[in-house]
Amino acid sequence: MKPASRDWPALLLRHEMLLLYVLIAEWLFFYFAGTTVNRRGVIIGFGTLDRQFDILRHSCEIGLLALALTPVILTSGIDLSVGSILGFCAIFLGLLWRDCGLPLPLASACTLAIGVAAGGLNAALIAALRLPPLIVTLGTYSLFRGLAEAITRGAITYTDFPAGFLFLGQERWLGLPAQAWIFALVAIGVWLLVHRTTFGRSFRVIGYSPEGARFAGLPVDRRLALVYLLAGGVAALAAIIYTARLGQAKADAGLGYELFAITAVVLGGTSIFGGTGTVHGTLLGVAAIAVLKNGLACLPVVMRLNAAEELAGLLTGALLLLALAAGVLPRILPVRRIFRRPADATPPPPTPP
Amino acid sequence: MRRYSRELSVAGAFALLLAVLAVFAPGFYQPQPLLSLATREAPTLVVACGMALVMISRQIDISVGSQFSVCGVCAGLLAAMHWPLAALLPAAVGLGALLGAVNGLLIAGLGLPSIVVTLAMMVTLRQGLNLVRQGKFVDLPENFQWFGLPQATGQWLLVGGALVCVLGLAAALRHLAAGRFVYAIGSDAEAARLAGLRPRLGTFGALVGLGALTGLAAVMNVVQSPQVQPLAGSGLELKVIAAAVVGGVAISGGRGNLWGVLAGVLLLATISPALTHLRVEAHWERAIQGAIVILAILADGAHRRWGKR
Repeated sequence: MKPASRDWPALLLRHEMLLLYVLIAEWLFFYFAGTTVNRRGVIIGFGTLDRQFDILRHSCEIGLLALALTPVILTSGIDLSVGSILGFCAIFLGLLWRDCGLPLPLASACTLAIGVAAGGLNAALIAALRLPPLIVTLGTYSLFRGLAEAITRGAITYTDFPAGFLFLGQERWLGLPAQAWIFALVAIGVWLLVHRTTFGRSFRVIGYSPEGARFAGLPVDRRLALVYLLAGGVAALAAIIYTARLGQAKADAGLGYELFAITAVVLGGTSIFGGTGTVHGTLLGVAAIAVLKNGLACLPVVMRLNAAEELAGLLTGALLLLALAAGVLPRILPVRRIFRRPADATPPPPTPP
Repeated sequence: MRRYSRELSVAGAFALLLAVLAVFAPGFYQPQPLLSLATREAPTLVVACGMALVMISRQIDISVGSQFSVCGVCAGLLAAMHWPLAALLPAAVGLGALLGAVNGLLIAGLGLPSIVVTLAMMVTLRQGLNLVRQGKFVDLPENFQWFGLPQATGQWLLVGGALVCVLGLAAALRHLAAGRFVYAIGSDAEAARLAGLRPRLGTFGALVGLGALTGLAAVMNVVQSPQVQPLAGSGLELKVIAAAVVGGVAISGGRGNLWGVLAGVLLLATISPALTHLRVEAHWERAIQGAIVILAILADGAHRRWGKR
């Protein structure tokens, strides 16, 4: 969806560019408000390189989920179960490795397969039976989180992973956190899929008009199935990275991540009704949320209140509402028309001169 | 008979569960624990009725859990300030209606998708409550629990109140013009508009109604214990949506009734004590609830696809 000509003012005012300005402003704000010098003259807080790497590390898992959700939302679907699949897969990884004695690479591969299978359940219900994605994934949201709780009996935590595995989540490789490379690879893959293949373009066509897509001869059910399978697989990958970063797997892994992922996608300019949106917008949305979450924890005021988590959640929710409202407000203003009677909706008959 | 086949099948499943319990765990049938169970689930039933209303009008609200917590904590704070119940109850119901109205303005007014709006609302309200209260419990005054009545009377009062609520709403949905209006906008909003109804006003009304019922349920929950838990409502949204879906309310709107919802609430509420009595570990509860929801929509989907001849 490139602009027809190199129309610079229009290009500078597109949604992704606006989000980029917000992101830069946000980063600068936290850089100046959240960086302090401690008594020994060492810079601490937001402005340190370590903190920036931390932001990158924390954004990888939510970023992966958001990348997986972008095609889903482009087809005007939704997947609320990605956070639960993440938790389920993290538990499964621990189970395969510690209780079944599989080597970690093999256990990771099996975890990916489990994730795809979990996505497959969504895909079968949504694409084959044409059930509404919302309620299907609400059901699997309970199911997978419940399975994770059942396997661990609410108590077991898998820990003591070997250092070679923890490298993936805690160390740097070629100057950047190791998981950032995986994230970048997946991001490029999804970007190419959505923006550079006819295959990926069909997602938008389906989101815009599923009936039209069907009449145009697209295999709508198969494409939809693929989108949910992909979401399951990527959630499993996020589970592996999550486990490697924290060095432990518990039943509550990734609880509530779906909200942050959906917020990132919507903030990134993808319409929740499907049909329009970009992957790079999603990436910017992820960055905006990650900077907000980490930046708030660095502000002295928030540190004193010890309420970074709550404030970040509150602001993310409010941000999502704002982003949604900003998308439709221009279309429906003036507000006076909101509750008008249907009779008023028809234009008055032209008065004879 | 055919018309209520869906509700009857849920009732049948519930009867089957009761029969299994009668054979394998007769210890389940003791009056006092059963009354306690019914009292605990009375608020859920009230919220589930509101949720059915919203789902029949083809919307959904997953912020009810947070609304429930907010209303509960506010009611508790008012009670601690020695407000009488006659003033406290309308205040909580009004607060719930107000929260519902915010959702309603965003969904019906701006035409935003209800799932995302209420998802954002759920987190905003929950984290806002955490931020303000820092997870503190609210201590209630001495004679507030069970309305100051003996416990058994209070319990019967709550269960009776919830049942009256269901009866009244069911009758209203069936016989009042406003009730038929909800079905009309749920099955086809455009047709309803062309017939001279106002779909957006109806959607708004359903969401406000759900909020008010949630406020009522929050008070019903608060009077049951000497303290108010700030996390009382977490997970409630899934419970009531699951109950409504299991009870035959279609997520695509326009179908379902409150008898099915009543059966769904009973079925899901019995699972947890049934697990304990059948010596299955309680950690399976959430997985089983999820599986039941999926089975219910699977049955609906199969029925829609292959059942119609």
